[in-house]
Amino acid sequence: MPGLPLWRRGSKYLKQKFFSVAVIAFVLGLLITMQLRVVSQPPAEIIPGARAHELAAELRRLEEASASLGQEARDLEDKLLAATQGYAQAEAALKTEIEKNKTQAGLVPMVGPGVEVRIHNRPTERLPGMNEHLFAVRDEDILRVVNELWGAGAEAMAINGQRLVSTSEIRLAGTFINVNLNRVTPPYVIVAIGDPDVLQATLEMEGGVAETLRKYGVNFVVEKKDEVEVPAYGGTMAFRYAKPIKEGAKD
Amino acid sequence: MWLGIWMVVVGLILGVVVGLNVPLFIPQVYGKYLGIAILAAMDSVFGGIRAGMEESFDNAIFFSGFVGNTLLAAGLVFIGDRLGVELYTAAVVAFGVRLFQNLAVIRRKFIKK
Repeated sequence: MPGLPLWRRGSKYLKQKFFSVAVIAFVLGLLITMQLRVVSQPPAEIIPGARAHELAAELRRLEEASASLGQEARDLEDKLLAATQGYAQAEAALKTEIEKNKTQAGLVPMVGPGVEVRIHNRPTERLPGMNEHLFAVRDEDILRVVNELWGAGAEAMAINGQRLVSTSEIRLAGTFINVNLNRVTPPYVIVAIGDPDVLQATLEMEGGVAETLRKYGVNFVVEKKDEVEVPAYGGTMAFRYAKPIKEGAKD
Repeated sequence: MWLGIWMVVVGLILGVVVGLNVPLFIPQVYGKYLGIAILAAMDSVFGGIRAGMEESFDNAIFFSGFVGNTLLAAGLVFIGDRLGVELYTAAVVAFGVRLFQNLAVIRRKFIKK
């Protein structure tokens, strides 16, 4: 700018002066550019060398740990899956086993072809001084019938709705017959599941139980049925004295 | 005067060009030092312009001021880093205040003329 006091000075001095300022300006430009380049660097490269090595080593270590842990997690998941599947299979097997045992124990109502046997006391006139129980159907008669039916391959049986199981008794208690500790009254209806023809033939064979009972005047009817129902055993099955023998303890 | 301004501008451009092409990277940790150096350089440039306007420019004072200020500021940054105190703010404030003062003086001289 003409008119400034500077301008009146000798140009050599001026040049020298401005040259100094220019040198510093050069340094300034250099520094600013470098600083900008430093600032615009990606952050990862800003970390000092030693720390960077440390972090890189740690990163590698963590990556390895992560990989191994991921592997472990997958293994454990597989194991868990296998265990879950095994558990489900075991549960299913146990349920099947329980169902089977319940069925065999008579705790499940059953249906199937079979026979229905109706046994009724002979219709008698009531005469004075007559013991009517003398002519009544007795427990032995029913036992015989039941025995014949078991022998003929009956698979499930019930007398007047009382399912016959391994502990069922058929006995005279006073003037009544008890089955499963329950009193059953005439007419006695025995329902048996099995081959209807075989069951009927067994009862009706010559000299068989049907003939014998009819001879005594008992009203004995055997009826083949396509479908009979046998109810489940309703009592309790408690073993107070009997204990199962452990397989290993047998020897 | 225009010659001086052109020389300053040319110096700046040269510095930028060289700075862009130097294959040297200064790590971020030294960013503080660089920032302080930039401040010292700016202070020196404006101080030089002001001194030139006041006709009290002296090369020796100019360069020694630049180098000395830069070194002192760098020392402050270094000590501050070691002590965990941001001592370099002292340099930043000092340079900043002087920058504005110099600019104010330059402005006044321009307007008065």
